[in-house]
Amino acid sequence: MDNVLKIGGNRKSFGKSILYTLPMFLITFMFMTGGRPNFSDLSSGLALLTAFLLVNILYFLMHFTGKTDRYRAILFIIFALSLSYTLIHNMLEVRKSMSFSQADILECKIPFCHLVIPMMILPAAFTKSIIFPGSILNGFANISTMIVLWLVATLVLGRGFCSWGCFYGGWDDGFSRFGKKPLIKRIDGLWKWMPFAVLMMVMLTAALSMMPTYCSWICPFKAVTEFEQVTSVESAAKAGIFLSLFGGLVIVLPVMTKKRTQCSFLCPLGAINTLSNKITPFMVKIDKNDCNECFKCVEACPLYAITRDDIKEGKVSMFCSKCGKCVDACSRNAIHYGIKGVPSGTLKNFSRNLFLFVSFLFMAIFSAGSIIASFHGLLKLIF
Amino acid sequence: MKKIKIIAGITWAFLGLFLIIILFPGLNSYSVSVSKLPFMKLNPRYTGGEVANQIVAENCTLDIRKPVFNGFLKERNSGFVQLDWHGKVPEMINDSIDYDHDGYKDFCIFIDRKNSKTVLNPLNRKVKGVAISTPTSYGWAVRVELSKE
Repeated sequence: MDNVLKIGGNRKSFGKSILYTLPMFLITFMFMTGGRPNFSDLSSGLALLTAFLLVNILYFLMHFTGKTDRYRAILFIIFALSLSYTLIHNMLEVRKSMSFSQADILECKIPFCHLVIPMMILPAAFTKSIIFPGSILNGFANISTMIVLWLVATLVLGRGFCSWGCFYGGWDDGFSRFGKKPLIKRIDGLWKWMPFAVLMMVMLTAALSMMPTYCSWICPFKAVTEFEQVTSVESAAKAGIFLSLFGGLVIVLPVMTKKRTQCSFLCPLGAINTLSNKITPFMVKIDKNDCNECFKCVEACPLYAITRDDIKEGKVSMFCSKCGKCVDACSRNAIHYGIKGVPSGTLKNFSRNLFLFVSFLFMAIFSAGSIIASFHGLLKLIF
Repeated sequence: MKKIKIIAGITWAFLGLFLIIILFPGLNSYSVSVSKLPFMKLNPRYTGGEVANQIVAENCTLDIRKPVFNGFLKERNSGFVQLDWHGKVPEMINDSIDYDHDGYKDFCIFIDRKNSKTVLNPLNRKVKGVAISTPTSYGWAVRVELSKE
């Protein structure tokens, strides 16, 4: 009887789910429309309506079905795809190319992304300046706005940013869902410390060269955003590296392991977010009383954040990105969202509802602009 | 103690909710505040440095910027000086530059904009070569490599 009650413990009735969705509905309506929806242009109106309904239906389903990761991932992957689509579309319109030129660098017109943040820290502290050819305050993806967004999200969500806010994470999250069974089953857990090594390396090399080295040499997501024009052997080598890393860590390995390998083994910002997990209010907890040590959560975790030892100790490691895959995998609701200071096994529903509202609201509003723009672009292509 | 921890945790969680709710409506003003922090300015290696001298010709202005030798903990031995031509830039540029204001020309630069050809004639042993020569939205920009010694 106990087991039957616990299965689908996060599920809510239709009416209750509607009630839980109502605040999200109102807030996203205000943010997406500014309180005044404009349907004068049919394709813009349709794009807005589609994005608005998508976000709210997904949030409703999270409550109604009790599943988190499935619906989070849909929006997360659409966010990644639509951001790349919007960015590439804009670049092709403005520059007629996905690559940026020396003039774009000289004029500081490169859009800033959160992955630059680790490389800014030492130069900002020692030279009181930013080593990036972007805009401090004006224009698309300016440095100040991106810092504020990342800082608040990381403070509140910790490494949850990697699963609820990062507009690149959706790429390897998406590829990790291809195929039914992993072709590579075991990767040494030690590799999950690799991002810390990458973090140290890029912080030091960036400081010494006064250049964002990760962006210049390593970042695999240049393949789906923008990259330096290939005009020399050096720029050709850079292109070779980022394309190989995108192919290997974002496509091939996620498909073969069913894990988010770029996020797990490379991302230096992920390492900082991992540390910030120590101070955030939300976490994933294990209720030892309900856990039967089936280890389904260990298999499900896409970031190698839970090991068998962690389960035995009743603690999830700081690598957790709160994606909810383990929570969905647990039929006994033993692994659950929790709040710092609140004992595991207590206030399970309250903690989940609060976390989902905070994290989903961030993702919904952060992604809204690019999702609407890409829907609009697609509608214009169709009609 | 347990109750205090629970209350503190839930308070922190609600504070998180509050932070996310006020984040987006106030994003512009928070960004302005962040942009005013002392370290929030671009390094001269990216801006090209401050304009040190401006030469105004008919329909065209040449900005000669301060030489940039910025490094992490101390100045580097190698750096650059950036020149920006604004306005109606002629097809052929031929200028002699005194970047260090010592009264002597340091290099002559010839640019054929049509064929994107740049020729540098150093008149000072600190002038090493052309790092960048490119058309820009405002005209043309050149970075000339320098050494300190």
